[in-house]
Amino acid sequence: MKYTPKLLTKNVNTSTTHPLREFAILTGGILGALILVYVLLGFALEWVVVPRIPQSVERSLGELFLGNYAVEDSPERQYLQGILDRLVEHEPSQTLDYQIHVEENPMVNAMALPGGHIVLYQGLLDRVESENELAMILGHELGHFAERHHLKGLGRGLVLLVLSATLLGDQSGITQFLQDSLARVESRFSQRQEQQVDEFGLHLLQKTYHHVAGATDFFERIQKEEPEGPLSYFFASHPSPANRVDFLNELIASAQYPIGEKTPLDLPE
Amino acid sequence: MLDLALFLSLLTIGYFAGRVTEHRHYKSILLREKASLRLPTVTSNMLPEVDQIAKSFLVTGSCVISIDYFKRILAGLRNIMGGRMTAYETLIDRARREAILRMKYEALGSHIIVNTRVETASIFSSTSQNGIGSVEVFAYGTAIKLKKTL
Repeated sequence: MKYTPKLLTKNVNTSTTHPLREFAILTGGILGALILVYVLLGFALEWVVVPRIPQSVERSLGELFLGNYAVEDSPERQYLQGILDRLVEHEPSQTLDYQIHVEENPMVNAMALPGGHIVLYQGLLDRVESENELAMILGHELGHFAERHHLKGLGRGLVLLVLSATLLGDQSGITQFLQDSLARVESRFSQRQEQQVDEFGLHLLQKTYHHVAGATDFFERIQKEEPEGPLSYFFASHPSPANRVDFLNELIASAQYPIGEKTPLDLPE
Repeated sequence: MLDLALFLSLLTIGYFAGRVTEHRHYKSILLREKASLRLPTVTSNMLPEVDQIAKSFLVTGSCVISIDYFKRILAGLRNIMGGRMTAYETLIDRARREAILRMKYEALGSHIIVNTRVETASIFSSTSQNGIGSVEVFAYGTAIKLKKTL
């Protein structure tokens, strides 16, 4: 047997597909499929399930959440409840017993929980200066109830959780990457919702106080406190404070809402 | 946000570092393959006549190669969709050729390597979040030195 030395000129064992091309096709395909499922399931919940959730179920859901928040009746809470009640009188679709809860937490945040519960964080209360701007914030949260966002968000969050848990399982880099990408899609949805309820809050402010002084104060203050780059809010759940101020000012100008006297906030200690 | 930035930078580093390493390795493999072309390395277990053999000994060569971060992610995505795992092809190919080259280096001075075998083992850990993805290729054979050249 004669041995013939042979040098490999072409490699049959490796593919010629460019790895970047393969990466693009794979991410595109998987993300596309995930987003499709997510959007379809999300919309199914939003349009089919959420409108059919009876208030009794919503109330018990609310109690489930409220376990985490203290329900003590302080003069402060009653004062805030008074402001809320005034707003609710002018809220056309009032269906729930809206209740204020104050959470001892330095974070600047407010939440609308199922069952008509509005949770205000102490950090937010510390930063509010007039009754009008607080009313704007409460109006914003009431807007979430009117649009049933608190339930819709719950539904989509559930879909996101189930999707990532079943399809991807473990916490590898890929899972994280796909989850992050889905969360980005969600944030674009949610920024639109936030704008919607800012508008709701503004109209409610006008109906209750007959002027809209203080509507943009809070967001302006936040913006001054933490100046942010132009892109830092792109993927956030809320639009940037600057955007919200601009949006509200446009609305005020186009609706020709008057600007009156602000009522200073008189929080009982 | 920070997570994503970290992930993307690891991906970019992995991609470019992996490309450069692979390119260099292939260049070196081709060069050394050419240089060692004169040493026949066969899988046949037919030995020359016993009285012609001056010396025979075991030669081994092993090589461990790891994939880069980019390829790990690419392979992970491929895992979901199924199909040819192209990301791993060059990894295995390089390890195999490198192992054979190292075996040949050990056989310097002999005339032929017979009964060449190549075996592989994966070195990986699936438990940790960033599991190691490496492959070991082990080549071995019998080097034979003849009393006089063929």
